[in-house]
Amino acid sequence: MAPPLNAGIIEDDWTGEDVSIAQIERELARLRVDSAEESAQPNLRTSVMTHIAWVPPEWQHAAEETLAGMAERHPSRTLLLVPKPDEDDGLDAQLSIRCFPIGDRAVCGEVIELILRGDRAAAPASIALPLLISDLPVFIRWRGEPQWDSPELAQLVGIVDRLIVDSTEWKNLPAGYARLVELFDRVAVSDIAWERTERWRALLASLWPGIRDVKAIRVHGTAAQGYLLAGWLRSRLGHGVEVEVDEHERLEGVDLDGEPAPFPPGKPPVASDVLSAQLDRFGRDPVYEAAVRAAT
Amino acid sequence: MTATKEEANPLAEGLQLRRRPDPCILVIFGASGDLTTKKLLPALYALAVRRLLPDNFAIVGAARSTETDDGFRERMQQAVKDHARDPFDDETWERLASAMRYVTLDFADDKGEDELAQVLTDLDKEHNTRGNRVYYFAVPPSAIGTLIEEIAERRSAEGWVRLVIEKPFGHDLESAKELNALLQKNFTEEEVFRIDHYLGKETVQNMLALRFANGIFEPIWNRQFIDHVQITVAESIGIEGRAGYYEQAGAIRDIFQNHLLQLVAITAMEPPIDFTADMVRNEKLKVLKAMHTPGPKHIVRGQYGPGFVEGVEVPGYREEQGVDPSSTTDTFVAAKLFVDNWRWADTPFYVRMGKRLARRETTIAIQFKRAPHPPFEDGAGEEGLRPNVLLIHVQPNEGVSLAIGAKVPGQGMRIRTVHMDFLYGGAFREGLPDAYERLILDAMLGDQTLFTRSDEIEEQWSLVDAIVAFWQRDRPQFPNYAAGTWGPTAADELLHRDGRSWRRH
Repeated sequence: MAPPLNAGIIEDDWTGEDVSIAQIERELARLRVDSAEESAQPNLRTSVMTHIAWVPPEWQHAAEETLAGMAERHPSRTLLLVPKPDEDDGLDAQLSIRCFPIGDRAVCGEVIELILRGDRAAAPASIALPLLISDLPVFIRWRGEPQWDSPELAQLVGIVDRLIVDSTEWKNLPAGYARLVELFDRVAVSDIAWERTERWRALLASLWPGIRDVKAIRVHGTAAQGYLLAGWLRSRLGHGVEVEVDEHERLEGVDLDGEPAPFPPGKPPVASDVLSAQLDRFGRDPVYEAAVRAAT
Repeated sequence: MTATKEEANPLAEGLQLRRRPDPCILVIFGASGDLTTKKLLPALYALAVRRLLPDNFAIVGAARSTETDDGFRERMQQAVKDHARDPFDDETWERLASAMRYVTLDFADDKGEDELAQVLTDLDKEHNTRGNRVYYFAVPPSAIGTLIEEIAERRSAEGWVRLVIEKPFGHDLESAKELNALLQKNFTEEEVFRIDHYLGKETVQNMLALRFANGIFEPIWNRQFIDHVQITVAESIGIEGRAGYYEQAGAIRDIFQNHLLQLVAITAMEPPIDFTADMVRNEKLKVLKAMHTPGPKHIVRGQYGPGFVEGVEVPGYREEQGVDPSSTTDTFVAAKLFVDNWRWADTPFYVRMGKRLARRETTIAIQFKRAPHPPFEDGAGEEGLRPNVLLIHVQPNEGVSLAIGAKVPGQGMRIRTVHMDFLYGGAFREGLPDAYERLILDAMLGDQTLFTRSDEIEEQWSLVDAIVAFWQRDRPQFPNYAAGTWGPTAADELLHRDGRSWRRH
């Protein structure tokens, strides 16, 4: 039995090994019914999207933390796909209903965590497809750098509307951007590393027209942020801009031709805010795409 | 090479640049009142939290009571702590309070106006606010006239001016026309922002989204498919110590003349060509012009007597402090209205509003015509064969519900009404902004879409004056409903005569 509705976030779980999709659907329906208090109005299952996360095991903990900060803002069905190709063939599931009280009712979203064991890891789209909510946009958050030529990437890109990466998580920069460009005509792409440069881009834009002839920048931040800011300036200004990266965990400053730019107002957004902002966008971002093309 | 000023900034493309107003000073007349502490300052604080205010911004409070700058800041800080929707943050508050001043002002006294003008000039120099002014009139109508002339007289050659005028805008058609004439003599219509805070509510704006962003509703949004419309603006509170105002206004001027008629206009209006201020207001005006005055049989007034609200015994209106014990002021109005145009001919809009009703609720219910021939046998369930209702919850529980008939699982064909719900809080988990946040920001930006134009106000008063004229011919038997109920029985009869009833709650 689920705890009472006024207890904040309510969670009810079900775990199964070697499960089928039909079993998952059946258990989800049961959890939805159980999450409502007896004699109370039924809870609302509200979804604005299906959110898939491709989470290699080493990223599992980080992915769960980000989701915890975001689930309430984007009621959705979340599919966490954890590939374990080296294990015996099978599909394990952990299902949870997460409800958030609104007045005397509660709104519930669903989190479906699937361990794709053995051969199942090579056919993720066939597992995700029947679990997508009809008629709503599908986003995929790809943790770590994609295996660019893998069938998993090709399959999942084919069933989603938007691919969200964080190129800060990539080791192979700027070469990875050249591979990302190949996906632009197949799926709308956004990059959390790019999102994290937004307030700095707004600051740099406010320096127009003084910034128009800038020749070199030194970025005190991640390599991804450095390459993306340089690519952005090159593509927008139409001329070459040299880049040097002074590696920091976060973007702490930008020097323009040796002179530090002023610091932008406000505080940097937290991880779930950044992902949340990406989930509010639906179309292609031509400015980002041009920046990525010019970053390589 | 030097860039010319006109050259577009290529770096700005794609950035989600927020609408931020020009540098300006907001002057609040009536800074000692409840509106300032409960609504305006909390709204300004919310805008400051979201960095939507200009960097160069100052607030000047003006009221009759004597107060120092520090005293004003302390009082406003407490108001923010008590009423803001965001947690109190020292840094945000300091940013807002650092350019906050107070001027003691007797609204009929030139000296105070001179002092105000000097404070504004000083603030312009200190904060580079460039002579831009938003004057917010949170004062009784009697004080507005003098202030308008004083402001016009001292108007700076530099910068823009916007006047935000709270309801009530006049107390009848004649006084509203006088006020409009005074405004038009000194300012342009683009400088005048007549506020009706209902238009700032997300759910009221969502009515426009619901109608004009969804292909399925507009084709059936007419007399062919809609049986009638019910609009309820119910408050469970009484007059909250505002006897002086309410005795003069009553429900007809307090709610019907503005909020209620605007809700009717938004429900009934034709699609605007675009979402610009004049296009939207032109369409609302057409609805107001198409509404004919309800006859005496189509209007019910009421006044609450003692009763119980949420289990607590409350006094009747005539027992409220400051109210005439034989008062005939209306605290409830119900009416059957018609919009005489091609879309709505013969489709009644039943409206009701009042104080001390059973609960606080503002809803717009679109009741569709019944299915023409339900093919089910008798006993399929009278409940389930009820007409569909599209219900817009303006407040509370903001959202939209659609009542549909569905088969009860099991043998045979039994039908029950079920609701499909969209709750704002469910799909969009960010807190809804208060109406005043949106409207103050719009006024600073010069966007008049959600403000009422002079001709709309005059049409609204014209309808109200005609109703009040009927009322002056007789003396009502008040009180005629108990506090905590849904109003007088005559309001029920208004619908029963047509074979209809108010929605169940």
